[in-house]
Amino acid sequence: MLARLARWGKAAEDTVLVLLLSAMIALATSQIVMRNLFDSGLIWADEALRLMVLWLALAGAVAAARADKHISIDVLSRFLPPIGFRLARTVTHLFTAGVCGAIAWHAWRFVASSREYEDTLLGDQPAWIFQVVLPVAFALMAWRYLCLALTAFVALFAKRRGDAAS
Amino acid sequence: MIVFGVLLLLLALFGAPLFAVIAASALASYSREDIDLSALVIEFFSIAEMPVLLAIPLFTFAGYVLSESQAPGRLVRLSQALLGWMPGGLAIVSLAACAFFTAFTGASGVTIIALGAILYPALAQSGYDSKFNLGLVTSAGSLGLLFAPSLPLILYGIVAQVPIDDLFLAGILPGMLMLFMLAGWSLWVNRGTAQPLAAFSWQKVASALRESVWDLPLPIVVLGGIYSGYFAVSEAAAVTALYAIIVEVFILREIPLRQLPDIMRESMLLVGGILVILGVSLASTNIMIDIGAPQQLLAWISGFVSSQTSFLLLLLLFLLVLGAILDIFSALVLVVPLILPVALQYGVEPVHLGMIFLATMQLGYLTPPVGLNLFIASYRFERPITEVYAATFPFLVILLLSVIVITFWPSLSLVFL
Repeated sequence: MLARLARWGKAAEDTVLVLLLSAMIALATSQIVMRNLFDSGLIWADEALRLMVLWLALAGAVAAARADKHISIDVLSRFLPPIGFRLARTVTHLFTAGVCGAIAWHAWRFVASSREYEDTLLGDQPAWIFQVVLPVAFALMAWRYLCLALTAFVALFAKRRGDAAS
Repeated sequence: MIVFGVLLLLLALFGAPLFAVIAASALASYSREDIDLSALVIEFFSIAEMPVLLAIPLFTFAGYVLSESQAPGRLVRLSQALLGWMPGGLAIVSLAACAFFTAFTGASGVTIIALGAILYPALAQSGYDSKFNLGLVTSAGSLGLLFAPSLPLILYGIVAQVPIDDLFLAGILPGMLMLFMLAGWSLWVNRGTAQPLAAFSWQKVASALRESVWDLPLPIVVLGGIYSGYFAVSEAAAVTALYAIIVEVFILREIPLRQLPDIMRESMLLVGGILVILGVSLASTNIMIDIGAPQQLLAWISGFVSSQTSFLLLLLLFLLVLGAILDIFSALVLVVPLILPVALQYGVEPVHLGMIFLATMQLGYLTPPVGLNLFIASYRFERPITEVYAATFPFLVILLLSVIVITFWPSLSLVFL
């Protein structure tokens, strides 16, 4: 059940990334063609492209969280014994989950206030529709890091049991 | 507060993602200054207000497509045909090809993986000493960082608010200097043994050119388009991405269409990682400027640094340490907003500062403990990391010399502006 959910999640994530990037390439290049050949262009295109960069960044960040591939320094933990390494991972993942959760919460408040003040983007579209990706993405990242922390935590005990058995 | 700072530092050193560490410190500073914490999100959202940022996902994706195709092999063969007649030809070929490739792929380690795999065995076959060989391929993996349209150059332009075309021009001579110094050293080391690869032959050049006929327009379109004013940097990135797909997937058919989503995903992992750090750094920079951190830094430094020369020396030392512990993208977005106002007070041009910053950070790819190239080379060529350290050391010294020249000779960076 959970495995299927994870598979669907990854498929959804990949679809979003591929669609956004393809749309971005298509829109940006068609703008160049229209401007240089026909001296015209879509008025909303530049703003839409900038919003797509934000979405793509967040979608990429969620995907990177799944693979635990976010940029980090990590100089100390490789000197740790396996148990210490798993313990360090449990702590750093929990910390990251907490930070992402906090950002998600404040992003949610940001979106709510933007809705309340009826901010608009792309002409007269309600801004919150475009901004709601912020809390969603950070909530997903928080969830992801929580899972990673649990995995590391469980591995901590699995290793202990393995030691006791041998 | 100090305890919290030390705790964050420890978390970072034990491998917590940098974006989370930066966000936590920004949130803490906001709450200390009684600013609503959703200010962090507002700052983050300003990612959607920077038109040039579009260049980052597009160039990164194009770079990944190129490195998955046969383009690296064609680039090596073309460089061989053009430069192989020189004594020590293959070493020069390796340096030139790596620099060119890195400029297009953004120094994320793909150069070592894509080109190193071809050059490493080729150098060994031509009788180069294995230690020299390993050092050359490892250090060449981040050469070309100063050439357009490399990702760090673009990011510096965004963070420092310097026109990116200026940076592209400024990088030419400093980048050449690094290339020539490494090439000169390679010739000197192998002066007794290095043989020319082959006599120069127009026939070979012609066949290599014919083979690369689809790749050659790429640098011309990108650089020509930007400098002639036909399109902006972000548009050049869009053209590059589209062109790379059309050529590698549909014309040359080196990448099957069904592999494209995987390449998109892989490249966007890197982009997501960089832009999330940029987003939270915007927030942390904002609060640091609010509490006057650059002024405090300046007041502190001006206590013991009076001349531009001594400031540059201090800057160089600081950046060397910074580059050894932080990756180039995080260092850029975190540190540039702080030191730029200080550097301006000492009469350092923003463009020159960018060259110093990036050139020094390039050394960070090769310095222990976190030098990315060292690990990639160790992993890719299956050599112990200590052996890679030792092999790379002489190249590191040469590059350090070039960084010193770049730092204390501003006109090298500014001559075209």
